[in-house]
Amino acid sequence: MRRHLPADALARDDRFVRWTLEDRISDPRAAARRAVSSSGGPDGSGGSGPTAKNRVGFNPSRPGAPDQARALMHGIFVGELQALEGAGRTCFDFDTGSGTDEVPLELKLDMARQCWDEARHCEISVKLGEWMGTEIGEFAENIFLFEAACNPDPVLRLVGVNRALEGLAIDVFNTMKEFGDSAGDPFLSFCEDWMLADEVTHVKMGSDWLRRLTEKDPARRDRALEFQRVVDRLFSTGGFRGEEKDSPIKLARKFREMAGFSTEEIDVVAEEARQARAEMTDKVAGP
Amino acid sequence: MADPKKPRPAFAPWDRRELPGSFTVEETARRVGHYKWVEMRLFEALGGWVATVPELDVKMRLGTHCYKHAWHAELWHKRLPELREMNPDRLTAPANDDVVAFMDALTAPERTDQTIEKLVGVYRVLIPHKIAAYTYHLNNTSTITDAPTIRSLKLILSDEFEDWRDGEMLIQSLLEMESEVRRAADRQAALEAILLRAGGIAGPGSIGFPVASAPPTSEEVLT
Repeated sequence: MRRHLPADALARDDRFVRWTLEDRISDPRAAARRAVSSSGGPDGSGGSGPTAKNRVGFNPSRPGAPDQARALMHGIFVGELQALEGAGRTCFDFDTGSGTDEVPLELKLDMARQCWDEARHCEISVKLGEWMGTEIGEFAENIFLFEAACNPDPVLRLVGVNRALEGLAIDVFNTMKEFGDSAGDPFLSFCEDWMLADEVTHVKMGSDWLRRLTEKDPARRDRALEFQRVVDRLFSTGGFRGEEKDSPIKLARKFREMAGFSTEEIDVVAEEARQARAEMTDKVAGP
Repeated sequence: MADPKKPRPAFAPWDRRELPGSFTVEETARRVGHYKWVEMRLFEALGGWVATVPELDVKMRLGTHCYKHAWHAELWHKRLPELREMNPDRLTAPANDDVVAFMDALTAPERTDQTIEKLVGVYRVLIPHKIAAYTYHLNNTSTITDAPTIRSLKLILSDEFEDWRDGEMLIQSLLEMESEVRRAADRQAALEAILLRAGGIAGPGSIGFPVASAPPTSEEVLT
């Protein structure tokens, strides 16, 4: 088996449908959604999708909320799957050692533990998806997460996945837990809370290893943090995650602090989200 | 209540543990180092395979088993300094070149249509051999002086039996045609032949020497 598997080689069964960035950009429905949003909707009501102009938060009383929650749950499932695959590849792709292109045994052991956790999250997500009325393959899968897990520098890979993406997972699970609470679904809240506990552990692993592996190499730490910012920005998806009242996914400050983020680092993520949201709003408004 | 001052034997009547054992400290450290090397190669490969296997249930199970073998590697890693090996990396080594060849062959399949080959290597060859070597060690080491190794062996064996069953059931569920049964058998035979040359996961003597003579040479094994 070769090391450093390309992202497009991920193995899937026939139910899965892959969705690339190019597909997303060239999708005529995206342009239609933008037009609807900027014109206030075909019936003048402001449209129904969670676009920059008309988003109203992750509110169970909203007519489209169940579909939005199902789509998010499917997204969580494929995200967990790729997180499992990414952690597994980190166990395999590098020699064990202390060189810059190697990883310590203890880091590999942490990644193996993460494999188990992500495998459980996949199991939980499949069952929760069924509970919420969706099924594997109902929504398309993009492989951005695994792409971040393909970085040849183990520190960048770790930071991109364990701090940026698992950090996003903290925000998502906290939001879904609150959604379950407000929608009167204790089953959803219960499961999300357990996954949230694991994600805090994974982000803390990322924070601890970043500090240990770059203790004597500040340039490498800067590169890693820059990569984290790029991934954070990519996954802010037009301000979908943020601290605004109507942000569908709320930044979970308390849990991020537990996972080793400083207040300043959380402020940076929040600012990135605000910028991404402003850019999306400008794009929707048009020239 | 019994008189607390009344002398009692150090070993209760039901405690049949004995001092003698088959392994010296050095021999135990050597074996533990070989175990750790195999467990490491195994958990790394299972982790790497997760992304290459399309069957969802297999993918998730490999992720779970990856951690178990990593934990076994960690147990052996921590045992080595307790066996006077202060540089655990020194003894983290394969028993011989044939063990390396075996693990290379075991971990070679990558294609998405090779799940049977991947699983057969692990669950019909390596894990049964690990169970054999660990059981031999468990049954032959000193039950008093080497109690920490015994505890690790028992914990690990519990995992191995469970994983063996999981893996075997996955294999059975994947074999739908006679040609696939043959594929599985061929794969098993090819890997068994390499492990025969190696003498087991810890080299010759992995499960002792059943015939009361000198251990066979590798030439004898080959012929």
